[in-house]
Amino acid sequence: MKHAGGVTGKLLPLVLMLCAGCTSTTVDEFRQGETGIASHETVVILGRRQASARETSGDFVECVGDRIAQGANGLSVVPEQEFLDAMFPWFEPRTAPMRPEHLARLMVEEQVAFTMRDFGVRYIIWLDGYTERLNQVGSISCTVAPGGAGCFGYGSWEDDASFNAEIWDVESYNGVGQISTDATGQSFMPAIVIPIPLIARVEANACQRLGDQLKSFVLGG
Amino acid sequence: MKSSALSICRILLPALLLSACGASSVVISGSFPTPNIGRLPISLAVVYDDNLQDFTYTEYSETGQEEYYIQSGQSHVQLFNAVLPAMFDDVTFVDNVEAAAGSGVDAVFVPNIEEFQLALPAKTRLDVYEVWIKYNMRLLTAEGDYLADWELTSYGKTPTETFLTTESAINDAAVVALRDLASTFALSFARVPEISAWLANR
Repeated sequence: MKHAGGVTGKLLPLVLMLCAGCTSTTVDEFRQGETGIASHETVVILGRRQASARETSGDFVECVGDRIAQGANGLSVVPEQEFLDAMFPWFEPRTAPMRPEHLARLMVEEQVAFTMRDFGVRYIIWLDGYTERLNQVGSISCTVAPGGAGCFGYGSWEDDASFNAEIWDVESYNGVGQISTDATGQSFMPAIVIPIPLIARVEANACQRLGDQLKSFVLGG
Repeated sequence: MKSSALSICRILLPALLLSACGASSVVISGSFPTPNIGRLPISLAVVYDDNLQDFTYTEYSETGQEEYYIQSGQSHVQLFNAVLPAMFDDVTFVDNVEAAAGSGVDAVFVPNIEEFQLALPAKTRLDVYEVWIKYNMRLLTAEGDYLADWELTSYGKTPTETFLTTESAINDAAVVALRDLASTFALSFARVPEISAWLANR
């Protein structure tokens, strides 16, 4: 009996840790045109921020940019804020082009065309999406007493990250493709004296998979 | 010297009184980029009147208590100081409309805030802090005659998860709204019908 209890005690954290890694990610790619990039050319990744209640987080945009720039075949990525400030006021939420055709109209502006050339931007990648927390259950209560402090309880939630990337070719003013990613994962927080967070890295996985897919998409096909 | 001391008292005294009552004071501050647009061949005098420079907004709780005391006048002055010299060939700043008379400028610009609204997640149940500002912009001749009078609105929001404090979230939403004002103002100025007609006749 004592032996069985010991095994359960050892297995429980292992099972919980394995479950914490249970993040499923799917990536869909839709190609509309040929791609390729020269060594002197760059890409810029911009977050869509037109929706009223939600917006693409700057951290996610930065994460995807870092992922694309990594590795031996990493691409040159113009930082989002640097691009937005240099292009101000043409890429603000209310003024940004919504379709590749609008980009052609925008490039008629001398300052826009000059700054775009200056950065060497070949592709604009628009990211749109967010991570949502669903199905939060459980409760944890903590107590502080003269003899010590401790927490007891259990919490669990599901994160769902859904992002869509639209790739525009600045040379041809065409949309060349779309890549979407959807990641879900369950996180747990058991608390026996101290809370033990077992967090599913949902947004990080979405960033990693989307970044890798975008890099291979831009590099050629 | 005396008037500037009075002006400082006018801003600080209500802020001190409100902080004593428990309201949080937020002084909007941020940095604003210079517009990347072609300059209009206009010499412009700019008047920031006291209503703009000392603009404050108080947000009340549902029980009628002062919750946040927001000072955004100086951030607007800072914004216009960054934007206007990039939009016009020559910009001078004067104390009032009368001071521009005889200075040889083509027009006098007087911006003003008409309305300020703040939406907090605790009240809207949304995951964003929102700021909405309505402006009245006036363009006058150097002699003070009417050229154009138009309204602009700006909007800024910031998600709840990014910030540790409500004060910093309000500040960031207001800075986004100011950036929105600058972009709309810069791109729509020459398209205001009265201004477009005035520019065509010059």
